[in-house]
Order: sequence, then C-alpha cells, then structure tokens
Amino acid sequence: MTTAQFILSGWTWNPVTVGLVALALVFYPIVFRDRRRFGWFLAAMVILLLTLLSPLNTLADGYLFSAHMTQHIVLLLVVPGMLMLSLPQQLSLARGPRFLAIPFVGWLAGVGAMWFWHEPSLCNAAVASRPIHALQTISLLVLGSLFWRQILAPRDNERLSPPAAVLYLFSACVTCSILGIIITFSPVTVCSIYTVPPTDALGLLPTIRDRWAISPERDQQIGGLLMWVPMCLIYLAAIFAQIARWFAHARQLVPAKTS
Amino acid sequence: MSPNVSAHPHSVAIAAEAEPERGMLSWVTTVDHKRIGILYMLTSLVFFVVGGIEALFIRLQLAVPNSTFVGPDTYNMLFTMHGTTMIFLVAMPMLFGLANYVLPLQIGARDMAFPRLNAFSFWLVPFGGVLLHFSYFSGGAPSMGWFAYAPLSELPYSSQAGVDYWALSLLVLGIGSVATGINLIVTVLTQRAPNMTLRRLPLFSWMMFVNSFILILALPVLNAGLAMLLIDRQLGAGFFLPSAGGSAIMWQHIFWAFGHPEVYIVALPAFGILSEVIPVFSRKPIFGYEFVAGSTVAIAFLSLLVWAHHMFTLGLGHTVELFFVASSLLIAIPTGVKVLNWSATLYGGRIKLDTPMLFCIAALVQFLLAGLTGVSHAVAALDWQTKNSYYLVAHFHFVFVGLIVFAILGAVHYWFPKTTGRMMSEKLGKWSFWLMTIGFNLTFIIQHFLGLAGMPRRIYTYPDLPGWGWMNMVSTVGAFFMGAASLVFVWNLWISRRKGRIAGDNPWHAWTLEWATSSPPPVENFNFLPPIRSRRPLWDFANPDRPDPVVGTKWKMETSSPEKNHASVVAFIFSETGFFAVLILAYLYYTAKPGSGPSGHDLDLLKTGLFSVCLFASSFTIWRAEVSQHHGRNHAMIAWLALTIVLGGIFIVGQGLEYWGLFESGVRVNSNLFSTAFFTLTGFHGLHVCAGLIALLVLLGLACAGDFKNGHAPGLKAIGLYWHFVDVVWILVFSVVYLLPHLR
Amino acid sequence: MTTSTPLFLAQSSVLRVLDPDSPNARSIFDLGVISAIILGAIFVIVAALVVYSLMRFRWREGESEPDQVAGNTKVEITWTAIPCLIVIALFALTARTMSLSDPPPAPEPDLIVTGHRWWWEASYPHAGITVANEFHIPAGKPFSLRLESSDVLHEFWVPELARKITAVPGHPNSIWLEADKPGTYLGICSEFCGTQHAWMHFLIVVDSPADFAAWEKAQQKTAVTPATPLAIHGLALFREKTCVSCHAVDGLGMAKEGPNLTHFASRQQLGAGVVDNTAENIQRWLADPQSIKPGCLMPDFHLGDHDVSALTAYLETLR
Repeated sequence: MTTAQFILSGWTWNPVTVGLVALALVFYPIVFRDRRRFGWFLAAMVILLLTLLSPLNTLADGYLFSAHMTQHIVLLLVVPGMLMLSLPQQLSLARGPRFLAIPFVGWLAGVGAMWFWHEPSLCNAAVASRPIHALQTISLLVLGSLFWRQILAPRDNERLSPPAAVLYLFSACVTCSILGIIITFSPVTVCSIYTVPPTDALGLLPTIRDRWAISPERDQQIGGLLMWVPMCLIYLAAIFAQIARWFAHARQLVPAKTS
Repeated sequence: MSPNVSAHPHSVAIAAEAEPERGMLSWVTTVDHKRIGILYMLTSLVFFVVGGIEALFIRLQLAVPNSTFVGPDTYNMLFTMHGTTMIFLVAMPMLFGLANYVLPLQIGARDMAFPRLNAFSFWLVPFGGVLLHFSYFSGGAPSMGWFAYAPLSELPYSSQAGVDYWALSLLVLGIGSVATGINLIVTVLTQRAPNMTLRRLPLFSWMMFVNSFILILALPVLNAGLAMLLIDRQLGAGFFLPSAGGSAIMWQHIFWAFGHPEVYIVALPAFGILSEVIPVFSRKPIFGYEFVAGSTVAIAFLSLLVWAHHMFTLGLGHTVELFFVASSLLIAIPTGVKVLNWSATLYGGRIKLDTPMLFCIAALVQFLLAGLTGVSHAVAALDWQTKNSYYLVAHFHFVFVGLIVFAILGAVHYWFPKTTGRMMSEKLGKWSFWLMTIGFNLTFIIQHFLGLAGMPRRIYTYPDLPGWGWMNMVSTVGAFFMGAASLVFVWNLWISRRKGRIAGDNPWHAWTLEWATSSPPPVENFNFLPPIRSRRPLWDFANPDRPDPVVGTKWKMETSSPEKNHASVVAFIFSETGFFAVLILAYLYYTAKPGSGPSGHDLDLLKTGLFSVCLFASSFTIWRAEVSQHHGRNHAMIAWLALTIVLGGIFIVGQGLEYWGLFESGVRVNSNLFSTAFFTLTGFHGLHVCAGLIALLVLLGLACAGDFKNGHAPGLKAIGLYWHFVDVVWILVFSVVYLLPHLR
Repeated sequence: MTTSTPLFLAQSSVLRVLDPDSPNARSIFDLGVISAIILGAIFVIVAALVVYSLMRFRWREGESEPDQVAGNTKVEITWTAIPCLIVIALFALTARTMSLSDPPPAPEPDLIVTGHRWWWEASYPHAGITVANEFHIPAGKPFSLRLESSDVLHEFWVPELARKITAVPGHPNSIWLEADKPGTYLGICSEFCGTQHAWMHFLIVVDSPADFAAWEKAQQKTAVTPATPLAIHGLALFREKTCVSCHAVDGLGMAKEGPNLTHFASRQQLGAGVVDNTAENIQRWLADPQSIKPGCLMPDFHLGDHDVSALTAYLETLR
C-alpha cells in the first residue's frame, strides 16, 4: 500500500465515538445557556474525531509508537485544554469533590497519565486490547481535564495565580521531559508491540519501513522526542499565556494620583 | 532623602543604627550581603587575573606557527584551567557578587534571606579555587579541557590527579552555587519591601530570580555527573568508559544538560545589567518591560531543552538532531526580542555616553553578532563544518567576553559609586573601554575567519598553513590590548576607591531602590524607603507631575510571602530532584541491557521491601509529630519524632545489611555496570537519609530542651518536608531498582 | 623541534571550509551562504538602529527628560513574529541540507577509519589493505566511510569534502566521502584528544579511478624484502628491538598499536603530519621520537647511530 492509498483508506469508522461526539454536540447548547464559547467546543470535537478516526489512529494501532505518542499528547493536552476553554465564563467548577481542586492532584493527574500509560506492559496492553484502549482514551481526556482545570478553569479565582501556574506547568514539563529522555535514549524497547505489529492487515509495513525509513528504533526515538520537545512547547505556550495574563493585568489600571 | 517618605517598617526594629564593624577580621566573619558581595567580586578579580594570564600565554604560544614557547602538556593545562577558571571562578562569582550586593538593595531588603548560608557559599569559592589550583603542585593541572570529555578524562587516559582536583573543586563550587541560588530565590520571595511586588521588580533582580531557578536545576546535574566521574576514577568503575561497557556519550549528555543552561546562568545576569543601565543612560524606561521579563522566562525554560546542539557531530542521528535544531532555533526568538527592546530603549531617548553605558552598548552590539553566529551553530548542517573550529571559539568568546565581561565592566562602573561612595574616573574608564573594545574585536573577529580557514580549537601549535600565521598574530596582538585595558581598569578601581569624586546617593539619577539609600549604604541598608507603586519608585518621587503608571496587584502570591525555611526546603527539593533524576536515568540506562555478573534479580525484594515499609511509615510518624506540635502536645511530638528516627534508623541498618550481604557474595562497586549504578543510586539516597536523621536528631534535642513549646517550629516543618522528599525518592528508587526487574 | 613548511602544501587543498569540492560539502556551503545573507541582514538592520539612535538621540545639557515611552505591544508582536518566520524557514532549509549532505550510510563501508592517539588508521575491507594517515579515494565515486575510535574521542574533518564527525569509542559513525576531482586534501582531528591533538593530521589523496586501482594494487603487495646489507640489518633490528610488537609490516605480526608500516615509504608525511617523510626526518624520529612529537606513544629506544641508519634504510625500502 502506498502512502497516498493509505491516507485515503486509513480512516476508521467507529460508531460509538462518532455517536458520543454527536451527542455531546447536541447537548452542549442544551446544558449551557451561554454559548459564546461553543466554537472552542466544536474545535475540540473536530480534533478529537480527527485523532481517533484519521489514519493517525490506524498507525497508532500497532504500527507506529510515534503515532501513538502524537495521539497521546493530543488527547491529554490539546483536547482537554480546549474543553476547559469551551466552558461558559461564569461556570464554577467548585461543586465537584473537594480534592479535585487541589493543585497537586491536577498536577499528578497530568503527569501521572503520561508515566502510567508508558509502563511497558500497560503500553502494550492498550494496543492489544480494545477495552483497555478505550479506557486509556477516556482516562487521558479526564486526567487531562483535571490537569488543565488549574490553569484554564472558567472563573479566574478558581485558577492558579500566574506565578504559581508557571511553576505548575514548568515542573510538569520537566517531569514529562524526563520520561521523553528515557524513551529516546533507552537501549531497549519501551512498547515492544510496535517492533513487530501482530497483524499487518493493510500491508502497510513495507511502506513504513522502506519508503518512510522508520525502523522500530527510530520510531521509538521519534516518540520519545515528541514527548520531550513538542510537548514541552505546548507547556511553554501555556506558560507564555500565563505571563501575558499576569503582565496584562498591570496595564489595565489607570495611573494613580500623584502624591 | 527628602522627609516626605514613609518609614521602612523593618527599621522600626532597629532604633539604634548598627555600626559597621572594622578591621580585616570583620571581613572574614561578615554575614552582611554587601560585604559578601564585595568579597565575591574581589575573589573574582583575583581569578580573572589568573585566567587572563593563562589566556595571554595561550595567545603567545599561538602567535606564530610551529611555536615551541610552551610544550603540548603545558598548553593543554593552560586552556583547561583558563576555561574552568573563567567560568566557575570568574563569571559566576562575579555575578553572584553583583547579585549579592545589588539584589537586596533593589528589592528594599535588609539582607539576604540566609546571611550565614550566604557567607558559607562565598567561602566555598576561594576554597574551590585553591583546591583547583593546588593540582599544579600535585603532578599537574587538569589537561583534558574544561568539559572533561570522557573517556579522555578517565583514568586510563588521564592518570594524573589533575582531573580529580578539577572534579572535586567543581563539586565544591557547585554546592555553593546551588546554595546561592536557593538563597536568591528565597530572598526575592520573602525579603521584599512591602509593595515591592513581583511585577514591580527591577529587571536585574527579576532576571537573577529567574536565573536562580536554572541554577538550582542545572548545577545538580553537573554534580551528579562529577560524582559519577569520581566513582569511575577512584573506585575503578566504568560509567563513561566504553572499554568497561560504559558510555562516552552519556557524559556529554550530562555535561551539556548542565553546560548549556550554564551559558544562560552567566548570560541572564548580563542581560539584567543591560536592562538596568541602558534605560538609565537613555533617560527612558525600558521598552517593553513585560516582554523583556517574559522572554527571560522563555529563555530559562528553553535553555534546559536544547543541550544536544553541543553534540551535533557526535552521530546521534538526524531524528534527534532535527528536534534540537528546532528547539535551539526557537531560543533565538526571545533573545532577539531582548536585543530589539534594548535597541528600542535607545531610540527616542537622551543618551548619555558615560563609561557604564559605553560598555553596555558595546555589549549589546557584540552580543547581537554572537547571537547571530549562535544561530549558525543551531543549524546542524552548518555546525557540522564550524563546530570545534576557531569559528566556535570566536562565537562563545563573543558571548562570554563580548556580552558578559563587557556587561560586568559596565555594571562595576555603574554600581561602584554605590559601593564606595566615590565615582570611578571617567577618563580612565574611557581609556579602558576603548582599549578593551579594540582589543576584544581585534582578538576575536579574526578568529571567525581562522575557523573558516580550518583551524580547529585546542591545538597547541600548527603548521604554516595559508593565512593562519598572520591571523593568529593579529589575534595575539588584540589579546594584549585587552590585557592593557584590564590593567587600566584595575588601576581605575584602586585610584577611584581612594581619590574618586564623592558620588552622593544617586549620581546617575537612576530610578531603582538601591539609589534611594546612602552611598555606601548603612549596615541595614535603608533608613527610609520611598513609596513603591511602579517599577521606578525614584522616578515617581522625582517627577510627581508625571509618574509611571501604577503596577497593580491582584493575586495573593504577589504581595504575600511564604515562610522562608519552608520556601528554602522546597527550592532545595527542586534541586535535589535534578540530582536524583540523573542518577535514576543513569541506572535505567546502564541496566537496560542484561549483562553478565550481578543484576537486579540478585537483590532481595522481600527483605528490602520490609525495611522500605519502615521508611514509608516514618513519613506518617513525622506528619503526626507536626500535628502534635501544632496542637501544642510537646510530649507526643517528642515521641513521634523519636519513632521517626527509629524507623529511619531501621531502614539504614537494613540497607547496611544488604550492602554487607552483597559484599560477602563478592559484589563490588566496580563489578559491572549494574553494581556501579546500584551502589551509586542507593548510596546517595542512603546519604540523604543519614543527613535527614542527623537533622531529626538535632530537632529531637531542641524539642527535649523545650525549644518548640511556644508553638513555633518552622524547622520541624522544613525538615518534615525534606523527609517526605527522601521517602518519595525511595519509592522511585525502590520501583526502579527492586520492582522493575520482576515486572519485565 | 624545527619544522619547515610541509611539502604537500604546494599541490594540495588545505582545510578550506569556503571552497567545497564535493556535492555534500557544497550543499552545506550553499546553506551557509543563505544563512549568512539572512543573519547578515539582521545584523545590519539592528546595528543601524543602534547607531542611528546613538547619533540622533544624544543628551544635551539643559534639555528635559524625553517622552517616557514604555513599550508598544504591536511593535513587540511584529518583531516576535518575523523571527518566528525566519526560524521556520531556517529549520526547513536545515532539514533539507542535512539529508542532502549526509545521506544514510551504505550497509557495508568502503573504508573504515579508526582514530588512535595520535594517528589515523584506515582499512579498505574490499581490497583487504590497511594504511595509516594517508588514504586514497577515487574521484567522483562516493565512499561510505565508517569511523571508529580505539581510545578517546577524535574528530574526522576534511572541510572541502564532507561534514565533520566524531570518532566515538563503542559507537561507530558513518559519513560519505566524495571528491569531484583528483587532488590532495589535508584533514585534521578537531576534537581534543590529549597531548598531541595538534599533530593528528591526515591526507586524503583523490586519484583518478585508474590511479586509484593502481594504488590499491600496490598496497595489496606484501612488504618488500630488503636487499642491501644495511636494510637487512634494519629488518633484523625491527624484530629484535620490539618495533614489531606495535607496528605491523605484512608478514611481521598483526600489531595495531602503531601505524601499519607495510608501505611506509610511499607516504608523504611522518608522525601524522608533524614532519615530511624524508630520510633525514626518519633518522631524527628514530633517534628520539619525543623530540619531534613530544608525548607521542612511541618511546625513545636510545638507538645508536648505526642502528638508526639501518632501520631507516629498511623503512625506506617499504614502498
């Protein structure tokens, strides 16, 4: 199968996913009166669908560790962040269980999701077993939302203050980088299922190995580096947003009266 | 100051003015941040002379082809010592000195958060410096280059003790630097004057603050690497020795994971200096404070992410290299933003070209060039040609001298009046400026072309290849101009200290708080503070008709400050995380592939598991001790503390038994990579447990003596935090070392 | 130590980064030109802003303080965005140049170069020959080179022909070596490797394909058996004085500690570039190698004059 053929035919059709997304899109306007942020929600759903149904998903399903990593990052960091941004401005998240509001819990959720699912046996299991895969997807979205809530909660007073948020994001980034470094330079395979895909139903393997020149070692390197560098850049972008939030506040004030 | 200012709240406590102590001994025993700052700077000056003489010898040797002025071994020692001295004993102490002197004044503090720790950190510098230079008398100075690439730095290829002295002295200096970093962070967080919110910090203080975070994260990485190198050399292990199964590349990862942030550790304070001096002498506020401050955070963040660009010729593979090309190129953006903001500050100002400003403008333009040649190193394909050539030498000297030394010279001329009460001579200052600028550019611009003519760095001599001879001669001549400039500068310091014009409080009409007090400031720094509503309190004070916009406060974190012991332990834990991260990563790397000899399977999971439970339980007991203390139940607290110590003691004894068992069965540190990594990781953790136990014993003693009865025990909280950290590290170590082999 | 200008200089190319002679080096050079234009333009623009400000906005006695302009967000965004675009462009160009100038290695190398302290060994697996410090390649044919190290880090750099790459013990690296036209190129070790790092040069002799084939043939021949009495005595000394435990000569041991001397006399230089390979220099070297290349791993054997002459005569026969 050539690259072009694959891009056309690599799409998966998952009625459950599509159904759930459609349901969510219907319910958003019903649940929330304030629909000014519906655009964020729509974007989040589109990205979610693209991640789960596009050829990326086919690749992540046993072919390429790096594709899996891309999915992982999008599901943990991109989609939940956008979901948080899509909540109406006045919505308070304080009603949930108290411990979910503790910053360290959010931090642990975001960082833990990364580490937990890359323990070698779990990483393999999530590819080999459908239910575990579904569980992984859902847990990433939930844990990611917990992580971002500290930064992007709709109400300003439920967010961390900017300097604290910078530390929160920075330490999360360092912790995930360490895992990225391990994966990049590990002399052994982290997720062994990708070295020899169990079935090559699409006949894609020759294209990947020869035409794209991605050997299993290189694949793992790319995966580790994705977690190390681009993911850090997501955190960096968030840090920038926090600094902007912090300093922008100063400028809104009028000069004080002279003494 | 005018009477119309509010009293400094701290000054209430010190009704009687503290008199400065006199005599030489008072300088040795001092804990005053100003005196320590001056001591730092003087130490740095001494080593600058040493490193400068080494540089002149290097340039003399290279002046002509086939020179036999010094032999190869001497030459190799010279450039190794020159690099090490200039980075660790000149640039860092100098910037710490400036930070020590200026930062507390700028934020309206009376002193650093931990004055005694501060004195300790300082005294480690001369101690480390002497230790390093002592190697000259013990078989020769180190001669493997300042980044000690393995395996050249390993015993089979560098058998003399120079490398050991080098590693030990860097460890000493590294520990001092981490302490300084923690001290600076806590000082900014807890010692600011009321109303000096984080967002109102002068840029020098802001950058030192951000810088301290990279400092406490990056230095421990080097410390871990140095410890591993010493274990290799002293105990016959092979972390970095390929012939023993180790990895030469690992050393480079560790070294540059420290080394690249290190560049910014010395560059950020220089950026801070430029951000102070350029506005004052342009008579305008800095253009885009928010962007200069924000880009600092970006630089600090990215600096931790780009180290592998030092390794583009090592054959890491295009995949890895491309990611680091991307991140390294990105760092050019916030740096560029800074340069443009400084330039824009000049635009539309009323520029006064006094000596501090001259040095800073030269630094700005020279750094512009350095940054741009830096981009050409981030572009891996170009680096494949220019790396390790004189083009690279020229690039980093443009950063280290063109930016940093020039900024430091600017800073010294700028703050000298504050330190001594006297102005430096403008005439001598201009002489040293022009000599320095001409000499510097003569020395280093030509080296770009030498590199493009193929001259590699670190060669002690060279054949008479086309162009090499005259270009090297030009470079040497330039170096002597710089030497002359330094002499004029030192003379200027000396003569101005004694005969300079009296400066007054604020000779430059600057706007930050250090200029609100007398020159030199009194022991407790301020008698009065002007009101602080913006970033330029003295501008507001002098121009009540057109003050700066008020910088607001919104978040609690901006105005309140954490408890200082607590904050310092959190910062310390931050830095320890870096140290243990390296050791754990190294363990994972070295034991990933099964080798012959002992392995993780030989460890007794059950026994160690039991001892570990004791350690984990001790986290609970110390928490109970804190709770008891909080409720004022002194006896319960003593009991819980004692139980904690017993549990920790059981763990250590258990570790000792395990070590004993391994020794009995013939497992040594140097048996294989597993045993080396195992003993290193668990050994360092054990050392931390022991340190914690000692601290707990001291606490127990204090508690028994009744010190905590008044319900105030910050030490307990801080040490409790440390103890939890030690336990968390053990959870990681236990999972990685004991559990992981059984999962595979 | 006295050294004159090396003889090979007359007809060879010496470490000219800006004068590439192979497709790979040329693609790096092209990227260099583009980068130099972009970066140079930035330098000129910003430096001009600084110089203009210095000339136009000087402080004069009696003037009031200038407008206190504290920034401009639009300007900031502009000068953040433009560098972003430049960075993206540079990244794309870099990625392209990297794959052009450093293609993936061949499965089997044509040439294996090993860095030693302080000389280079090169073996040609197909022809089964081993040489030191002077390697031949045919013009116009890409050679897949594998780089190894027997001790510490070294770095292989011939600017006109290829990127530089480090020789890492335990981590073989590969590059492609190619030259457009016949000629001699000086190469140099560019990673610091200890005492004699400075004298770790090598020569790459690019032959026409016919000349290269002839050279290979000549190198495949076994060592010449000496004929003159002096040289025969030299051969005996070579065995007796333990020269052979470090230096291989075809038929006389396999040692790899020092350069292979089978065709020693055919080389232009001695001691990895430190002096030219002349009878006089060989004698000086044998009499005391440390005086020519201080710190090199060949000890001083304190040979008498006669022994030196005999060994020199023998070595001179190894064409």
